[in-house]
Amino acid sequence: MNYIVRRMLQIIPVLLIISFIVFTLVFIAGDPVALMLPDDATLEEIEQLRESIGLNEPFYVQYGSYVFRVVQGDFGESFRYGQDALSVVWERLPATFELAIAAIIIAIMVAIPFGIWSATKQNSSIDLIATGAAVVGKAMPNFWLGIMLILFFSVTLGVLPVSGRGSFAHLILPAITLGTGIAAEMTRLIRSSMLEILNQDYIRTAKSKGIKSVQVIYKHAFRNALIPFVTITALQTSTLIGGALITETVFAWPGIGQLLIQAVNTRDMAIVQACVMIIAAIVILMNLLADIIYRILDPRIKLD
Amino acid sequence: MKRKQLWFICMLFVAIGLLVGCTGENKDETGETEEVNEDNRTLTIALGTDMVSFDVHNHNNTSTEAIHINMFNYLVKRNNDTGEMEPDLAESYENIDDLTWEFKLKDGVTFHNGDALTSADVKYSLERAATDTTLLDHANYRQIKEVEIIDDTTFRIHTHEPDPALLNRISRIGSSILPANYIEENGFDHFLANPIGTGPFEFVEWVRDDRIVLTAFEDYFNGKNEEWDEIVYRIIPENSTRVSELLTAGVDMAVNIPPSDWVRVNENEGTYLAQGISNRTLMIFLRSTEGYPTEDKRVREALDLAIDNQAIVDNILGGAGTPSITRVGPGDVGHAANLYDTYNYDPERAKELLAEAGFKDGFEMTLHSPRGRYLQDAEIAEMVAGMLAAIGVTMHIEFMEWSNYLELRNAGENKDAYLLGLGNSMFDAANALDYYRYDRFIGQLDYQNDEVEELLVAAEQNMDVEERNEQYIKIQKLLAEDVAHLVLHQESINIGVVDRIDYTPTMDEMIYIESITRK
Repeated sequence: MNYIVRRMLQIIPVLLIISFIVFTLVFIAGDPVALMLPDDATLEEIEQLRESIGLNEPFYVQYGSYVFRVVQGDFGESFRYGQDALSVVWERLPATFELAIAAIIIAIMVAIPFGIWSATKQNSSIDLIATGAAVVGKAMPNFWLGIMLILFFSVTLGVLPVSGRGSFAHLILPAITLGTGIAAEMTRLIRSSMLEILNQDYIRTAKSKGIKSVQVIYKHAFRNALIPFVTITALQTSTLIGGALITETVFAWPGIGQLLIQAVNTRDMAIVQACVMIIAAIVILMNLLADIIYRILDPRIKLD
Repeated sequence: MKRKQLWFICMLFVAIGLLVGCTGENKDETGETEEVNEDNRTLTIALGTDMVSFDVHNHNNTSTEAIHINMFNYLVKRNNDTGEMEPDLAESYENIDDLTWEFKLKDGVTFHNGDALTSADVKYSLERAATDTTLLDHANYRQIKEVEIIDDTTFRIHTHEPDPALLNRISRIGSSILPANYIEENGFDHFLANPIGTGPFEFVEWVRDDRIVLTAFEDYFNGKNEEWDEIVYRIIPENSTRVSELLTAGVDMAVNIPPSDWVRVNENEGTYLAQGISNRTLMIFLRSTEGYPTEDKRVREALDLAIDNQAIVDNILGGAGTPSITRVGPGDVGHAANLYDTYNYDPERAKELLAEAGFKDGFEMTLHSPRGRYLQDAEIAEMVAGMLAAIGVTMHIEFMEWSNYLELRNAGENKDAYLLGLGNSMFDAANALDYYRYDRFIGQLDYQNDEVEELLVAAEQNMDVEERNEQYIKIQKLLAEDVAHLVLHQESINIGVVDRIDYTPTMDEMIYIESITRK
């Protein structure tokens, strides 16, 4: 328990460093005021608006007041939405979670059987196909895959909706798009860790004792192969969110990824800050979760 | 084991089959991809970007206004066919003196919550736009001094200076009339979450970056819209996804169809491309700063003569665009018709002019250009560079991310030229030609023409409509002679539409639901 509390406390300096980096980058990247005004706005109009919304303060004053507000849970008001940035981000999180969970489920459903299968049938045609497919799956950019899936399943076959969020059908194509790369990585990981474990002495012992091969694979080998798998799955959170930026844009999925892209394009600093901080917190928490699950799966590992 | 593999593959196919089967049913329930229902009274419009806000006074986003105009009204509105100003919420208006306009509101206008529209609502709305300096469109309303209430339906607008463009001003972004009582009682945040206006459609929901839903307002003062029960705006940023939605009838209309998909949309069974001319003009702004080659009028003229505007329109824009020599388009007050739908092209003369100006062997220049902001902007910049190369001018193009591009210009660090497309929501030459004022762009463009300056000042406050028109036409003639900047063409509006509905785009880029009908 002490370990968890300590890890939770470690989040604070990490978030503070992230906030500084992001604030600095956004500050350097450009002035949002010119983007907020029409293309033919005069310099006088730009200056007047900058003054009105307090953007002509020096960097350290702006950053100082920002940190002071963030500590109180106030990320500031979004220029674009005219509303509290954190609430805008909260509104989007369920959509991204829905997509991410669906993508992970698809990835696991594909990776576990194919990973085990190709490990147990090493160098067979099935293994070759599975590892080949994993390479292709990892190499395909989400953007391209998404558009191809839309063209095939929606435009040509007409069996699935093109975009948007709503019914279960709307979830299928974006989840496959986002899940494919992760499935590929997971398949390769399960295959390699299964191969390593299948060559261990205790597996040979189990086999020699006459235990059924299915039982050997699933009870003795797979459970141990799960340890690196769980770690990688938890670490996929950042990959998932990175992939969600593209997938959500292609499928018009109203999640945090699309919000972040729009915010960067419009220099909506409050939203960018809030998004990055929330994403950072999620990634850190997922890593912590991975450590805890690690402990549950292998009691020999001590968290301290 | 082979049997097990076979069994696994069979189960995989069964699972896929079930999944597709399930989605097939779902598809019919949601109506997403089912056969087009001619009687469907829900109109779905795919937009490229989400609405900015329901704060109608605090944005300058055309596509946001294209939604707002169906929920809110202005006092007057511009007739897109005739270009004339017509009463909307106002029943009548009169110019009492140079600084005063008197308006009478229509009877029986109510907000979506049932409150009657009164002069107090107008006072609240216009004075907010005129006095709150943090509002993004404040610069276009600071000319209004105050709104004086005469009675419940009569009021006067007082301006600081004579403002001949007042009617244009109050028929555009930033001048919608809001419910003063509702906002005072509930607060502005409540209004933003539950907006009400006087327009033909009322608010149902806004799921950010996903959809905005409106429903027909029963008590609309011009009568309930009989054509559509519900309007759904869907936000689909990716072009190819938006086009796919249109092709599969997932949406009824899709905005900003890219030129690469025009043929596809037209040839697809069940969709067509509705095209119209927008009020946005693509231009190349030149530096007249001392020391730059473009300081010399002969050089500017040579560049203009080297560009074949029609070839750009035909080859890059598929014929959708109109070459022009002026930024003031048809439909704008003060439009010089003889400078529109025409262009100057004479590369031989261009070479002579360059030689006269001392650039016999040409020169090198730099053009800053955004990429993807305007229709085929990058391709156009490249084609212009090719045309200039034919007269010996080497134009280097620096494609820039939009915010960096703006910063560069605002800091006056731009080099010889920049490409920019400018709209004109005021539909008035004053707005378009203000770009030629010397003091607006000192250190950035430095173009100065004293006669133009004098005429701009005189026309800005001239309440004699005829004389003012003549002044603006003369300014455009002077600018064309002086080749202040290079005007390329007016852009087109390209909206994909399903066959079941009739739609013609309007120059103001608004999508008036009342003008969309089922066939």
